[in-house]
Amino acid sequence: MGETTPIIQVRNLYKIYCVGEAKVRALNGVDFEIYKGEFCAIVGTSGSGKSTLLNMLAGLEKPTKGEIVIAGKHIEKLSEKELVAFRREKVGFIFQAYNLLNTMNALENVALPLSFRGMPKKERLARAQKYLNLVGVGEQARHMPNQMSGGQQQRVGIARALVVNPQIIFADEPTGNLDSKTTMEVMRLMQQIVRKRHQTLVMVTHDNNLASYADRQIRIIDGKIVEITINTPQEDAVWEDKRDEED
Amino acid sequence: MRFSDLLVMSLNNLKRRKLRTVLTVLGVIIGTASIVVMMSLGIGLQELNMESLSSWTSLTEITVTQNYSMDPNASNEDSFITDDVVEKLSKLDHVVSVSPTLSISVIVRQGVYICEYANIQGISQEALHKITLESGGRYPDPDAQQMEMVFGNMVIQDFMNSKTKKYYYETGELPDLDMSQPFFVIFDQNAYYQSLYPSGDTAVSPPKKYMLNVVGVVAGGTDTYNSYSYSIYTDVEQLKTQLKKVFKRNPIPGQPTNSKGKPYSYFIYNNAKVQVDDMDNVKEVQQAINEMGYQASSMIEGIENQQRQAGMIQAVLGGIGAVSLFVAAIGIANTMMMSIYERTKEIGVMKVLGCDMGNIRNMFLIESGFIGLAGGVIGVALSYGISYLINHIGGIAQAMSGMDGDISRIPLWLVGLAVIFAVVVGMGAGFMPAMRAMKLSPLAAIRNE
Ligand SMILES: Nc1ncnc2c1ncn2[C@@H]1O[C@H](COP(=O)(O)OP(=O)(O)O)[C@@H](O)[C@H]1O
Ligand SMILES: [Mg+2]
Repeated sequence: MGETTPIIQVRNLYKIYCVGEAKVRALNGVDFEIYKGEFCAIVGTSGSGKSTLLNMLAGLEKPTKGEIVIAGKHIEKLSEKELVAFRREKVGFIFQAYNLLNTMNALENVALPLSFRGMPKKERLARAQKYLNLVGVGEQARHMPNQMSGGQQQRVGIARALVVNPQIIFADEPTGNLDSKTTMEVMRLMQQIVRKRHQTLVMVTHDNNLASYADRQIRIIDGKIVEITINTPQEDAVWEDKRDEED
Repeated sequence: MRFSDLLVMSLNNLKRRKLRTVLTVLGVIIGTASIVVMMSLGIGLQELNMESLSSWTSLTEITVTQNYSMDPNASNEDSFITDDVVEKLSKLDHVVSVSPTLSISVIVRQGVYICEYANIQGISQEALHKITLESGGRYPDPDAQQMEMVFGNMVIQDFMNSKTKKYYYETGELPDLDMSQPFFVIFDQNAYYQSLYPSGDTAVSPPKKYMLNVVGVVAGGTDTYNSYSYSIYTDVEQLKTQLKKVFKRNPIPGQPTNSKGKPYSYFIYNNAKVQVDDMDNVKEVQQAINEMGYQASSMIEGIENQQRQAGMIQAVLGGIGAVSLFVAAIGIANTMMMSIYERTKEIGVMKVLGCDMGNIRNMFLIESGFIGLAGGVIGVALSYGISYLINHIGGIAQAMSGMDGDISRIPLWLVGLAVIFAVVVGMGAGFMPAMRAMKLSPLAAIRNE
């Protein structure tokens, strides 16, 4: 691997939910790094804590304990206002359920994050169109979300994440609602674009097959990292993580 | 986010839920209209009162009279209203003009008709010119050879037919006076009565009659009262000349005498009418005149009292209207809350995508403010309609006020105030929901339902 600069550093991260009397340890002490420009998959079964981890990386949730440093900034110490600004400047987000705004057409949806940055309308629509073309739904720019297939909607979702040219893109089960053929198309699209633009992509999935598209896989079970695998372009090389996560 | 983008987003959200927006706006329309209409009634009532007041009296006039002391033996000489005093008064700040009034009771006759208690008032040319005359009349000429008179429009009712000894109020027939012909005026009333009813052996010859012309009649006809209706008006200087001619060195009736019972060598006016430039200054000028040692009176106390009362009535009426706007405000808050519940996910997505919290709050404030604005503007328009109906349909206004003229009046300031108030109420009602939207967790967007 060429890039070795960590853009995300996670140290000793805990997230404990209190459900009534019971305590759910969604994340139980997690340490890892994600490097600049890599495509990293977080893999695990349902309920293993993948989404919790991703949400904390994106600053949507506060950790119970531990630190997250992204591009030199301690995310866990930021206020909500600063977190919003951090996402606006640095982060793109791809949702499982696409989460396009139903009242806007594809073009306006993609342009939305740019309007949060105060970009004038003409400029941002032109740029949005460029990104729609890039993800292959340029023709559907004027379609409303309910007039598009799931695959098309997710392409629009990807365009919306990419349009602000973020350093990091988070994707939580981005193909979870798609059929297998469309899943492959979307996966290839994300992989290609991110690689070409040297952006960092962090993807959560429960599907081992999809995880194999990534440069690296972080496997978690019950809130703990059990292994980190590096995928070589030729053959999948598995590297067992010997480090013990327990304190 | 740019304000224009914020505005477009807010308006689109309102458009999305048309029926609900319309119903909420309707509440504000009714609320605004009830406040505006209620206040317009209060304002109309007050203005009608002021108008009726100013139709028979001047609201900027101060009447200055001498100070009457409690001691019957004391002379009031110090506070006599003389030419010097008129001069002094006219030098006060805010005083536009000062007109002395010299009045005297006389007997006037023409043919068989006689008026035994006519009142002639000598006033300045300036004051004369304030009187509106019936067409064809003119004002008394200060340089005329003979004193000229203007008759009050109801003076004619005071003439008695000396043959039948009957007055207008007994017969209902107006005396047949000819204004183009001169009238006989008797100034010396004492001599007149003494010659009519001689007491003992002192026979008094009838006093001299003067033939004087009427050059004008106060406008209004014989049945519309105004403050000039019942007197005869003439130029004050001419009246003075006339009185000197009539009474020579003898005391003039109505003029005070000194402690020895002798008349003064100058005229003492009954009062002086001071015109002030603005109603707001009347109080101040009145105070100054009082301090100079004269009695000053004006309508100002009455007006102030009335304005206080009118203000209270307006507040009560406005308050009644405000209740319905308050209900509308609850409607707005409710609409906004519903909107937030529906858009929880959308707001979450926006926060994930980096929309500033302040922008989200402002978006909701603009929405509720716009509901207020639309309701306010349409409500004001509706108020104009209601106001028109109240004023023009079958005497509602007259029944309510007992006066002629519009009872519902919407001044421009009320329009501005109502719209601003509606917007403020809208934003106020939307504030709590807006804060709530701002604090919504972005996680709502991620969770799959
Ligand atoms: N808000 C929450 N309150 C309580 N427990 C939660 C909450 N969110 C997640 N959990 C629990 O944390 C664990 C990890 O959840 P999650 O990160 O969503 O798993 P995954 O995305 O890997 O399926 C699960 O056991 C889940 O029940
Ligand atoms: Mg998940």
